[in-house]
Amino acid sequence: MTLSVETQRDIAELRGEPAASPGRRTKAGHLWSTRSISLGTIALFFIAWTLVAYFRLVSPVFLPSPLAVLWKFYTVATSGFVDATLWQHLSASLLRVFAALFFSLLVAIPVGIAIGISRIGRGIFDPILEFLRPIPPLAYLPLVIIWFGIGEPSKILVIAIAMLAPIAISTASGVRGVSHDRINAAKTLGASNIQLVLNVILPSATPSILTGLRIALGTGWTTLVAAELVAATRGLGFMIQSAAQFLVTDVVIMGIFTIAIIAFILEVGLRRLERWLVPWSGRE
Amino acid sequence: MPHLAVEDISVYYPGQQRPALTRASTYVKSGEFVVLVGRSGCGKTTLLNVVAGLLKPTDGRVRIDGETITGPSADRALVFQNDALFPWLNARENVAFALKLRGVSRKDRGEMADRLLGLVKLDGFGDKQIWQLSGGMRQRVGLARALAAQPAFLLMDEPLGALDALTRERMQTLLLDIWAQSKVGALMVTHGIDEALLLATRIVVLAPGPGRIIREIETGFGRRYVEGETVRSIKADPAFALARADIEDSIFEGETV
Ligand SMILES: Nc1ncnc2c1ncn2[C@@H]1O[C@H](COP(=O)(O)OP(=O)(O)OP(=O)(O)O)[C@@H](O)[C@H]1O
Ligand SMILES: [Mg+2]
Repeated sequence: MTLSVETQRDIAELRGEPAASPGRRTKAGHLWSTRSISLGTIALFFIAWTLVAYFRLVSPVFLPSPLAVLWKFYTVATSGFVDATLWQHLSASLLRVFAALFFSLLVAIPVGIAIGISRIGRGIFDPILEFLRPIPPLAYLPLVIIWFGIGEPSKILVIAIAMLAPIAISTASGVRGVSHDRINAAKTLGASNIQLVLNVILPSATPSILTGLRIALGTGWTTLVAAELVAATRGLGFMIQSAAQFLVTDVVIMGIFTIAIIAFILEVGLRRLERWLVPWSGRE
Repeated sequence: MPHLAVEDISVYYPGQQRPALTRASTYVKSGEFVVLVGRSGCGKTTLLNVVAGLLKPTDGRVRIDGETITGPSADRALVFQNDALFPWLNARENVAFALKLRGVSRKDRGEMADRLLGLVKLDGFGDKQIWQLSGGMRQRVGLARALAAQPAFLLMDEPLGALDALTRERMQTLLLDIWAQSKVGALMVTHGIDEALLLATRIVVLAPGPGRIIREIETGFGRRYVEGETVRSIKADPAFALARADIEDSIFEGETV
C-alpha cells in the first residue's frame, strides 16, 4: 500500500519539512488545498456570525457584530478600557508570562537534567513533578495567594509552577535520549562530567527542551487568565473579567481574539527559534 | 614508547550467564596496528570498550606503561562506526572541541582544527554542517577529532563498516597514511578480513561462546603499503590470499555451535 500524496504531505508537515509533493497539489487532483479549506472555514464562521448579529437572532448584548468587536480593538487600543489601553493590558500579561517562563526555565532545565542523568535526581524530583503535573493551576492559586499575597509575585509564581512540569519532563526525556556514542566519544576525548553536561547533553536535549517550552507557553497562557482574575489591575484576563462583569460583551470577545492572536504569534516565533537554534534536528 | 597491555580481561554483563569475554590478554605498542577480527558477538566491541575505559571488566586490567587505567582518557581516543559527531557544531568546531578539552587556547583552535581536517583530506570543509557531509566525510571528521586529542592509542570500532566499498578502500589507505605519520598505536575492530590484512601489523582472532582470543598473527602488508607498494600489488601477492585463507580457517574453527 502506498501513502497518498495528501498523507505524505501531512507527515512531512508534521516533521516540519517542506512537502516533497510533485508540483502543485491541485494538479494531483485536489481542487482545494488544505489551507484554502481552512480559510474557507474561517470565512464561513465570520459570515454566519455577521448574519446572526445583523438579523438580531441573538441580542447584541450577548453577541455583538464582528464589526463592533473590530471597532473595540480600535477604541480600547486608543482610549483604553478599565483604566488601561489594550497595549498596557497586553504587555502586563506578556510580562507575567515571560517572567514566569524565565524563572521556570531556570529551575526546570536543571531539574530535568538531574532526572535524566542521575538515579538520585530522579528519585528526588520525579514524585514532586508527578504530584504537581495533574493539579490544575486554579487549585493551588488560593494557596499561593495565602502564602504570598495578591501581588505580582503570586501571579508569576502560579504561572511558573504550571510551566515547571512540562519543561522538566521534556528536558529529562531529551537527556535520556542522548546518544551513548556521543557521550562515550566525548568521554574518550577527555571530557569531565560538567563538560559532558554543558557540551553534549544540553545541546542534544535542546530540541526536546524547545518542545517542552512550547507546551509550557500554552499552559502559561491558559493559566494567565486564571491568575489575572484575582486582584489584578491590568492584563488581558483582568480586562475580560471586568468586561464580563459589566456585560461589555464586545470587549470580552475582543480580549479572547487578542489572546488567540498572541498565542498564534508565539507559536510562529517558537518555530523560528527552533529553526535557528536546532537546524540539525531531524536531519541526522 | 607507550605500551598498552590487556591482562586477563573477563567481562560478564549483568544478567548474562556466559561471559562476553574470558581471560583475554594481548597488547598494543605504539607504531603497531592491531586489528581484532571474529564472528559477530565474540566480544570485540566489549574488549575495545574495556580498553577505552568505558566498561569496567569483571576481572583483569588494562595497563599503559605499567599503570592500570581507571576510566576513559584522551590518550585512548575512540572512533565509532556511526561517527558520533556533534550535529550542533560544524566540522571545524567538532575537531576544535577535542582541542578545547585538551586545553588548546581558543585562538589557536581554529587553525589547528583546519590543519587536522587537511590531514584527513577535508581542506576547506571546516564550515560545513555535519548533515551536509557524506558518510565517508563524516568518518574522516570523526578521525580528525580523535587525532586532535593527540592520543597515544587510537581505538576504532568498525570505523569503515557503514561505508560503501569504494569509499572504504580510499579510507583504508588514508588510515594507513595517518597511522604511519602519527606513530600512534592503533587498535581496530573490523568484519572485513581483507581490510584486516591490509591494515594490520598484527591480527588478533576472537571466537564466541564464551568470547576469547584464540590466535594472534603478525602480518606485514600494511607496512608494505607505507613503504610505497600499491594496494593492488599487495593484494595480488599470493601470500595475501594464503593469509586470508588462514584467518578464515581460524575464525571458522572457533565455531562451537
Ligand atoms: N550491554 C550488554 N548487555 C548484555 N550483553 C551484552 C551487552 N553488550 C554485548 N553483550 C553480549 O556480549 C557478547 C559480545 O558482544 P560484543 O558487542 O562485544 O560483540 P562484537 O564482537 O562486537 O559483535 P559484533 O561483531 O556484532 O559487533 C554478545 O553475546 C552480546 O550479546
Ligand atoms: Mg561490535
